Amino acid sequence: MRTGLLAVRVIVALLAVQGGVALAAGGVSDMGPGCGLGKVMWEGNTAANSIGGELLISTTNNTILPWQAFGITTGNFGCKNSGKLWAEQKVNMFATVNFENLSQEMAQGQGEHLASLASLMGVPAGQQEEFFAMTQDRYNALVKAGESSPVAMIKAINDAIAAHPVLAQASTR
Amino acid sequence: MQTFVQLLIVLLISVDPQLILATALPDSPYRAELIQHALEANLASEREWHLLLHYRQNLFSGYTSEADDPQFFLSPSGRTDPQSELESTIASLFSDEPVGSSKQPAQCAFIARYHWLKERLAIDDTKLPPIRCERFDMWFNELNAESVTLIFASAFLDNPASMFGHTFLRVDQKGQTEQTRLLAYTINYAAEVPPDEGPLYPIKGIFGGFKGYFATPPYYLKVQEYRDIENRDIWEYRLHFSESQVRRLLEHAWELGSTYFDYFFFKENCSYHILSLFEYADPTLRLTDQFHVWTVPADTVRLIATQPRLVEEVVYRPSRRTTIRRKWERLSGPERRMVKEIVNDRSPEAIAEFKVFSSKDQAFLLDVASDYLRYQSETDKKHAADYKERNRKVLVERSALRIPSEDMKILPFADHPDLGHSTSRASVGGGWRNNDTFEEVTVRAGYHDLLDPEIGHTPDAQVELASVSVRHYNRADQTRVERATLVNVMSLSPMDSLFHSPSWKFNVGMNTIRFNSCQLCSNGVLNGGVGAAVESHWLRREVFFAFAEAEGDYSKAYEDHYRVGGGGTVGLYGDLADRWRLMVSGSYLRFALGDKSDDIRWFVGSRYTLAQNWALRLEYNHRDHDNDVLFSIQAFF
Repeated sequence: MRTGLLAVRVIVALLAVQGGVALAAGGVSDMGPGCGLGKVMWEGNTAANSIGGELLISTTNNTILPWQAFGITTGNFGCKNSGKLWAEQKVNMFATVNFENLSQEMAQGQGEHLASLASLMGVPAGQQEEFFAMTQDRYNALVKAGESSPVAMIKAINDAIAAHPVLAQASTR
Repeated sequence: MQTFVQLLIVLLISVDPQLILATALPDSPYRAELIQHALEANLASEREWHLLLHYRQNLFSGYTSEADDPQFFLSPSGRTDPQSELESTIASLFSDEPVGSSKQPAQCAFIARYHWLKERLAIDDTKLPPIRCERFDMWFNELNAESVTLIFASAFLDNPASMFGHTFLRVDQKGQTEQTRLLAYTINYAAEVPPDEGPLYPIKGIFGGFKGYFATPPYYLKVQEYRDIENRDIWEYRLHFSESQVRRLLEHAWELGSTYFDYFFFKENCSYHILSLFEYADPTLRLTDQFHVWTVPADTVRLIATQPRLVEEVVYRPSRRTTIRRKWERLSGPERRMVKEIVNDRSPEAIAEFKVFSSKDQAFLLDVASDYLRYQSETDKKHAADYKERNRKVLVERSALRIPSEDMKILPFADHPDLGHSTSRASVGGGWRNNDTFEEVTVRAGYHDLLDPEIGHTPDAQVELASVSVRHYNRADQTRVERATLVNVMSLSPMDSLFHSPSWKFNVGMNTIRFNSCQLCSNGVLNGGVGAAVESHWLRREVFFAFAEAEGDYSKAYEDHYRVGGGGTVGLYGDLADRWRLMVSGSYLRFALGDKSDDIRWFVGSRYTLAQNWALRLEYNHRDHDNDVLFSIQAFF
């Protein structure tokens, strides 16, 4: 679980960073996923770092500013559609932390991490088996993408869903 | 409790000077009316108010809150004055000024207090300033709670902070399935330990040197930590709380999310604070009062399990190691050889042989190999890259089979933790020593030794803390402290062709020896050893162990009052019947420093379980010419 540990380390580092930012910003609600400072951090860092930042957002409650900045009220920072953005961030975060488990379960054609990913990506429960079969079928390409970045793997899975005769129709996203 | 080392995702707080409140508010007749009502109804002495503020009765009189963050209180004297805190809280509901370390209006920062007061005083909220708690609403909606589950991660001896297991809560989401429960959030209470704290952090942790915070990491992160990285079995206790009770629990957790408590490893630890959340959710539960000196996670699980109709379902989540061992049991000899071939990159002959298996069997073998390679990459960090590379190859081959793996029910090696004996133990017994007879009383604070009933406890793991035996010798007419143990830990890891972890032991304590001319002499002992264990299944399950060890003794019976030496121990234990366990061990030690001497020791012990918390013991100890037989009855409490 190197990815996991890496994410963990990143979180610790970011805690300090975000804490500092939070103090400086004095409660300005601009740190939502993809918005304001959050967006700057997201763009300015490597994928893993940003994921760590997002993870922090998702897992702490009211003491860390980002919760209030979840985006919904901060239209002026370019996050009008923040509900969807947040859903995407959750997928990326999950894929980054669980990359090893996901790649194992994709090869095995089933598993709870894979089922959770399907649910996060909006695959209906009835189409889960097609989703499992598809990721097993495209295992090599997906894992290769995932090794460069889990976000790229998610993109590759999304593309595969779009090209899939059954999944494309059922998927909500 | 292992949460000590859990730096991850602790809540960070900006400690700002306390805001001046209430005094600046304009006079409001309604506010005065509510305060008067509260006074008449004596709300400040109600249990729920005390639960909300975590007040504990002082030894003599009055109350003090266990919360240590001044920002948790709205009155400057709130930590020790429930009435003044209540009045300040009511007053603050009339203001939209941000309060507490989370900097929100009081109606939001202390939303559980607000809702409780609103109900008890029938507050007309149209007379309060209109405030929307958007941050709380977003948080609450994101949690999307339906029910809560108490999670117990079993003991992990290789980390002193994890020796007693760990508990936290999972907030189960609406529409969650058995598979997507990974996505649920958890509520976890952990000490914030700075990364550069050094090896003495457990000492600081025992005495409240760290601050503890609540956090809400997603469950998949915790599963990864316990199941994948530390190889600990997880037990999930799904609890029955009504929708409004779940809401109360979360509202109170929200309030606590921005505060801290000084973290005390033994009592005010992860498990203790989780219990306090349950108590506020359902104030008829009396949980935290049952723990006075220490709160052992497994004890809290047992307490929860004994509450009427609270536990709906218990689910077991095996560690990776358990999964591998269970799958391994199902394999034949040739299949096991094949898994090893796969793990070590197959020879050409093995590749040909592999093709003979059906694709279903091939899938199973590759899955075991992949699990094992992942286990290795976690436990043998130096070669992790190599194991990952090999796992990648295995998975590529596995994906090419194009069939899904079958679900296999993995059974635990240790039974439900709530079925285990309680933490503390008292024994009464008697016996013979050489040509004298004695009666003996022993009290042990915790936790489990290798002869204790194993059900519900991590097998092959002994942790004894703070034990004292007092004995009266009839012929010598002498009453003395016969034995005392500060710490006595033994971690046995049976080796097989897959797992090669060493075993180890460590003991600090005193006993009573007969040496030279001294008949009954106190002797301080420091002993540590490293060794190996194997298991067999001849009768039921037997564990054999061997240690190389070093020992230092201190007693006035020795020349120069001490001796230091080394030697070894071999032994075995096993169950002869469901309730009956036998253990035998022998040691030889040679002392080269101080009083030059040597020691041959034998031990034969037998335990019969009468009930979950009752057992009988018969033990024989031999050292040189010193023979000791003890029969005792033991009660766990």
